[in-house]
Amino acid sequence: MSVIAPKFRLAYFLKAIIDNVFWIIILVALIGIPAIQIGLFYGDLPVIEGELLTAFLAFTWLFNPAMALPLVKSLIYSDLFRIAAFPGFGFAALIAAGTIFVERKMLAKLQLRVGPFYCGKIEGILQLAGDGLKLISKEIIIPAKADKPIFWVAPVLFVATAAAFVSLIPVAPGGWVVADLDVGLLAVFAVIGFFPIITVLSAWSANSKYPFIGGIRALHQMVSFEIPLILSLLGVVILTGTLNLSEIVESQSNFPWIIFMPIGAIVFFTAMLAELERIPFDLPEAESEIVAGWLTEFSGMMYGLVQLGSYVKLYAFAALFVVIFLGGWTGPVFWPPLDEQVITTGLEIPSYTGDPFLTISTPGLPLFDADPNEWILQKQGELQYTTGQLLISGVIWFVLKTVAVIFFILLPRGVFPRIRIDMLLHIGWYKLIGLSFVNIFIALGLLYTGILGPGGIL
Amino acid sequence: MADVLFLALSVLTIGAAIAALELRSLIYGSIALMGTLGGIAGFFILLDSPFVAMFQIAVYVGSIAVLILFTVMLVKRELIFKKIEDPKRKFAGIGLMLITMVAVGAIILDSGVKTITTDSAPVDFRDIGVDFLTYYWPALIAMALILAGSVIGALVLARREDTVENGQRTD
Repeated sequence: MSVIAPKFRLAYFLKAIIDNVFWIIILVALIGIPAIQIGLFYGDLPVIEGELLTAFLAFTWLFNPAMALPLVKSLIYSDLFRIAAFPGFGFAALIAAGTIFVERKMLAKLQLRVGPFYCGKIEGILQLAGDGLKLISKEIIIPAKADKPIFWVAPVLFVATAAAFVSLIPVAPGGWVVADLDVGLLAVFAVIGFFPIITVLSAWSANSKYPFIGGIRALHQMVSFEIPLILSLLGVVILTGTLNLSEIVESQSNFPWIIFMPIGAIVFFTAMLAELERIPFDLPEAESEIVAGWLTEFSGMMYGLVQLGSYVKLYAFAALFVVIFLGGWTGPVFWPPLDEQVITTGLEIPSYTGDPFLTISTPGLPLFDADPNEWILQKQGELQYTTGQLLISGVIWFVLKTVAVIFFILLPRGVFPRIRIDMLLHIGWYKLIGLSFVNIFIALGLLYTGILGPGGIL
Repeated sequence: MADVLFLALSVLTIGAAIAALELRSLIYGSIALMGTLGGIAGFFILLDSPFVAMFQIAVYVGSIAVLILFTVMLVKRELIFKKIEDPKRKFAGIGLMLITMVAVGAIILDSGVKTITTDSAPVDFRDIGVDFLTYYWPALIAMALILAGSVIGALVLARREDTVENGQRTD
């Protein structure tokens, strides 16, 4: 029977721990605390509920859960939270991780296999964490004659571009988007344009046959499918008269645009599959022809970063489809606004004399219900953020729709074979561009007959 | 803040342009060209016109730079380029550039650019669209015809008669 660590001694273990603690204390005292002091000297401290947030006040609040609420709220309203956690990268990465696992299980079920099974006892639920740990702990091997700067930078740039794409997607009403641009859709097109550059540069820098063939294929495919991708969205832009993604969502409060522009939606979906290199358009990483396409030479966490980036990109494209054609977060609000008394003092249960003998207060509730009238305020445009029931129901609708679109993106992988490159380009250049022009003419017809658009009947 | 950004963008743009000319590696040269074009997009953002900036990125960085990169990857540079190291030509080129830049700068400074009020509100891109469709419509029509002509010409040139239409094997 083998032992995991045959030379294990408890004394050495304790010595190592004490050593680490010692060095951590030394480093914090010599570098950390001066750095914090210098930062405090130059940085501005936030003012929360009329009080300057000093370190003492922050610690006082942290150790009292009821008083920690304003701290958490100010954190939620900060830019960092939006960039890193909720509408930004963390949310997208969470959905991307879920997508990877669901894809493997679902394809296995479609093809009468089992899929991930052993990690984590229940249907292989820990497979993803295991894969991640494996990728992190693997050695990164770089080809000897690779162009090292580009080869190192390409995976990071890929993830960064996917994150930039995610930051343009509005998730919930009332400004829950990282970058709310007036030209949001154009910014999306500009960001999409970076993917082929990164792909072909990383493919070239690996200095190997298969990545280069895969990169050239990816370039062909992405550049030629960008055109129908852009043209298929112009119908919606014509009818809404805006490029801001939040306004495009708000224009669909009565009906989603897919009802009037199914052709545009189909063209966009097909072009999206090609941009994402999904089967049946996965020629750039065709594993039965060119080993793994432009990913061949990546190993360890570099491969992990590229995979993360491609699944974040998948989420972003699905979310863009939801935002433009399926109405984004619009949907029935799940519960009515809470009574103000419930939030401020708690629910009072009176006895027969009229005095309350029991008060049910929920300290966590004010976090999500700051203003019970936020629906009205948001309609009037006076609310910067929605936090209450609008946020929750918006996010639920958005995630439901996005997950449905992701399901339809994953589905062809279990069903269709890969098509040839000339058929792919034929589809892109002849059929999809023609269909997207048909879609634009439908939009123009609806606009000029006065049915839809600014000042239309509907 | 805007001054610092302007200086940084200027250094980025001009430095990348010089790198694009001077680098021996064609790939790095085209990456530097992308840096130049992206820096110009940054200038447009500084000038409160994100519409033009986004088109600059989408068209120049996303398409034209990709085409240049693609072309560079397909050629063998040893076959078509001869190395000419001649310092006289270099200095002549720099001198010619300086003369041209001084001339263009003098023209721009003389054209009344100083009298423009710099704190006016940014132009909405819808106004640009309205102007294009009303006052400048002949230019729009001319551009549309030229672009359509070039696209049709490219399609005609790229069309191959010898391919079998939808030649997928069925056996």
